[in-house]
Amino acid sequence: MLRQPLSKALALSPCARLAPVTGRRYAQVQAQPEKVEVFIDDKPVYVLPGTTVLQAAALVGVEIPRFCYHERLAVAGNCRMCLVEVEKSPKPVAACAMPVMKGMRVKTTSDLTRKAREGVMEFLLVNHPLDCPICDQGGECDLQDQSMAFGSDKSRFTDIHFSGKRAVEDKDVGPLIKTVMTRCIHCTRCIRFASEVAGIDDLGTTGRGTDMQVGTYVEKMFLSELSGNVIDLCPVGALTSKPYSFAARPWETRRIDSIDVLDPLGSNIVVATRTNEVLRILPRTNEEINEEWLADKSRFACDGLKRQRLVTPMVADSRGNLTPVEWEDAIVAAAQAIRDCPPEKLVAVAGEMADAEALVSLKDLVNRLGGEHVYTEQSFPLAGAGTDLRSSYLFNTKIANVEESDFVLLIGTNVRFEAPLLNARLRKAFIHKETDVALIGPNVDLTYEYMHVGDSASIVKELASGTSNHEVLKRLQSAKRPVLILGADQLKTPEGAALLAYTQELALKLQGKLEDKEWKVLNVLQRNASQVAALDMGYKPGVTADALKNAKVVYLLGADGGQVTRESLPKDCVVIYQGHHGDRGASIADVVFPGAAYTEKRATFVNAEGRPQQTLVAVTPPGKAREDWKIIRALSEVVGAGLPYDTMDEVRERLADVSPTLVCYGEVQDNNYFAQAQALTQALHCYFAIKRRLISPECIPLLYGALSDEGHPVVVLRAALSDPVSM
Amino acid sequence: MLKVIATTAKTSFSRSLPAFSTCTTRLAGEIDPTCRKEAPKIDSDTVTALPEEAKEKMVYECTICVPTKVDLSPITGVPEEHVKTRRVRIYQPPKNAMQSGTNNIHHWEMEFDNRQRWENPLMGWTSTGDPLSNLKLEFTSPNEAIEHCEKNGWSWYVDVPKIEKEFRPKNYGLNFSWNRRTRVSTK
Repeated sequence: MLRQPLSKALALSPCARLAPVTGRRYAQVQAQPEKVEVFIDDKPVYVLPGTTVLQAAALVGVEIPRFCYHERLAVAGNCRMCLVEVEKSPKPVAACAMPVMKGMRVKTTSDLTRKAREGVMEFLLVNHPLDCPICDQGGECDLQDQSMAFGSDKSRFTDIHFSGKRAVEDKDVGPLIKTVMTRCIHCTRCIRFASEVAGIDDLGTTGRGTDMQVGTYVEKMFLSELSGNVIDLCPVGALTSKPYSFAARPWETRRIDSIDVLDPLGSNIVVATRTNEVLRILPRTNEEINEEWLADKSRFACDGLKRQRLVTPMVADSRGNLTPVEWEDAIVAAAQAIRDCPPEKLVAVAGEMADAEALVSLKDLVNRLGGEHVYTEQSFPLAGAGTDLRSSYLFNTKIANVEESDFVLLIGTNVRFEAPLLNARLRKAFIHKETDVALIGPNVDLTYEYMHVGDSASIVKELASGTSNHEVLKRLQSAKRPVLILGADQLKTPEGAALLAYTQELALKLQGKLEDKEWKVLNVLQRNASQVAALDMGYKPGVTADALKNAKVVYLLGADGGQVTRESLPKDCVVIYQGHHGDRGASIADVVFPGAAYTEKRATFVNAEGRPQQTLVAVTPPGKAREDWKIIRALSEVVGAGLPYDTMDEVRERLADVSPTLVCYGEVQDNNYFAQAQALTQALHCYFAIKRRLISPECIPLLYGALSDEGHPVVVLRAALSDPVSM
Repeated sequence: MLKVIATTAKTSFSRSLPAFSTCTTRLAGEIDPTCRKEAPKIDSDTVTALPEEAKEKMVYECTICVPTKVDLSPITGVPEEHVKTRRVRIYQPPKNAMQSGTNNIHHWEMEFDNRQRWENPLMGWTSTGDPLSNLKLEFTSPNEAIEHCEKNGWSWYVDVPKIEKEFRPKNYGLNFSWNRRTRVSTK
C-alpha cells in the first residue's frame, strides 16, 4: 500500500478510511498455503505443500518402514528403507525426504515398493552380524522387526571366500552407553541427535562405503546430559545401555507408566520391572513436558533405588546407634517424643522428593497438634506476596510454550543441568524458531549461542528500571513473546527477595506491552519435584535457623539437603526421619521410618509448571518400608491426633480441599495476579542495592560427579549419595 | 469360524479338491465351481422338532438386551476383595521409546493397580498373588473400557496421554540452508 499523507487520508470518506485498518487485520493472519491432495494407497489426504510423503502417509495411518528417519530429528535420507513407488516416477522415491506434489499417487504396498524394501534389507543384513541372541536390542529391535516384515525369506549371502562380515572396532563413549559398532547400520540418528538436540557435535562419520564408521573422531566421552537418548534412538543394538546390559529381555519386563521426580519438570517415564526390581527407566511421550526425551539423571538413577535403602524402622539406642525395631516400637517412640513436645517446638521439614499426599498428611498432623512450623528445604523469599500467589513461584510460561517465545532471558540459572529437557526445548526453539537467548549469570555452556549480559544481579535492577543501555533491554522490549526464567537457587540468599522483586517488575513491564495478553513472561524454575506442591499447601519455604534453634522434635520428610544438621539443633532435640534412603537425614535421626521411593507408591507430584501428575506403583517398597502418607496416618493415631482419612481416595479429597489444582492430573491451571504480586512486593520497599555477583550455578553436571571410584558406571540417586567419599 | 477355515484352507486345498466336497465344513468364498456346495446341512433335531419346541429353542438361543446399566460383580464370582479394593487405569499404551513402530498402540487398555511380585525360589520365575495382574483387555475407545469397568464394579480412572503434536512439514533442504540455524555440520 502506498503511503498517504494524513490530511489526504482524513479527507476520505469514513468508509474508505476504515479500509486500510481492515486490510491490516487480514495481513496479520498468516496466509495459510493451500493444501494439496495426494493419494496414499488410493486414500486421499490433504496436506500442506512441502510435507514429505512419509508424513502424508502417517496422516492416513499408513506407516512406512524407516531406519534413519526420526520425526524429531532432521531428515537424513540415507537408509533408503522408506522407498515407495510413486505413480509415473521411474524409480522408487525415498518417502522421508520427498516432498509431496499435487495429485501424487503413492503406493506403499506395491510390488516395486516391496522389492525395493527387500533389496535395502538385504544390503543392510549383508554387514549386520547375526548376534540377535546375545544382543541387548533383541526383542525391541527395528532391524529385527523390519527384516521379519519386509525382508526376504531367504538369504543370498554366501560367504564363499570366508572373508567374514564387515567388522568395526567398538568405541568407548563413557560409562552409560555401550557400543557394538559392528551392528551399526549408519542411520546417523545418534549423530543428528547429538548435534541437534544435545548440542554436542562430537559424533560423526569417517570413511566411505564399507569403511564408513560412526563414532567420536578421537576417543572421548559423549559428555551430554541427554546422552542416554541415543540408546533409544538407535534402531539396532549398536548403542545400548551399559548399566542395563544383559539384564533382561523386553518381553520379560513389565512396564509401568510413571513420573520422574529427579528434576523439577516431572518427565513422563516408563518403569520396566521384573521380580520386584526396577531394571530400567525409559521416557514416555508427553508433548507438554519431555517430548520423548529423558535426562540421564532420570534414566540412569534407578540403580540407586536398590542401594543404601532404609528397609526397617530404626530407633537410636542408649549409645546413639540406630537399631532395627518393629514398626510399632518406632511409631510409639516417635509418638512419645511428639506428644511430649510443645506444639510450637515441633518442626517438620519436607525434602525434595516428598509427594503431595505425604506433605498434606504431615502438615495436617502438625496443624492438628497446634503447630505451625512446616518447612521445605528450598527457600523462597517471603517479602511481599511471598508464596501466597501461585504465579510468583511457578514456571508460568509452561515448558512447551517456551518454543513459541522469541526472546528468552535466563537469570542465574544453568538450565542445562537444572532442567536438561527445558534446555533441550530452548535449544529446539533456538534452532527451529530462531529464538534468541540471553543469560545473566556465570558464563556457562548451554549448548547453544546466547548473549551473555553479565554476571551481576544488579543488571536485573537496571533492566527493570529501564536505565540499562545494554542491547538485551531493547531486545526484550521489542520481543513479541519474551520469557524470563529465574533460577530458584538464586533466591536462597538475603538478596533473593530483591532479585525476585526486580524480575517481577521487569516481567510485568514487558507483559503490559504485549499484544498477546495470554502470554506469561515471569518464570521461576524450581530445583526439585516437591517444592511446588509444598508451597501450594502452605509449607513455608526454607527452614530457618531460628525455628531449628528452639525445636524439640524435628520431623524430616525425606529432607536430605543438609539444611538440618545436628549442630543447628539443640542437644536434646529428637529427630524423626522418614524417607527411602539412608542419607544425611537418616544419619542424624533418632527414629527412622522407612518410606517408599517414587517407583514404589502411587503419589502426586507437582512439577515446576504447577502440573500435578501421579506416579504408579511399579514395585513394592523393600523390607518393611511403607507408603509415606500411611506412615504419617499411623503415627497420627498413636499421637492422638488421628487424621480424618484412611484411603488414598480420601487423602486426595483432602488434597482437593486444600487446592483443587493438586488433583487435576496432567492439567496446568493458568496463573495470573502478576501485578498484585509485584505491587505487594513494591509496597514493602524491599528494594535494596544488589551488587553481589550471582551465586554460580553448578557448572559440572551432578551426574558425572557421581561416578564411583572403582570406575563402575553407577549413577545413583542423589539421595543415595549420603557419603560421596565412600562411594 | 467358517470364514477362518475358508481363508486358511484356500491355498493348500485348491489343487486337490474333489468335484464335490467330502468335508462337513463349508469352504466359503470359493468361486471355483468345483467347490460349490450342496444345500446346508440341517441337523435332524431341527427338522423333526415340533413348532413349540422350535419356538422354545429360539427363545433360549436369542440374546436379551438390557437397557439399563447392570452391576455384574455380585454374580461374576470375582472375590469381593478384587472388586472393592482394585482400581483400574484406562489408558492408551505408550509407544516404546526403543522402537519406531506404532502399530500396536492404537487402542485403549485397562490395567489394575500393581501388586507385589517376587522371584519364585523354585525356578526363578516371577510369582504374584494377584489373579488380575495378567488381565489385559483392549478396547477401541475409553468409553467401552469405562462401561466394562462399571459393569464389573471396579473403580476406574482415565489417563489421557498428551501426544498431540504440532504438525511441521519436514524438509531435507533445511540441512543445507545457508541462513538458518538448522544447517548441520555433518551431512
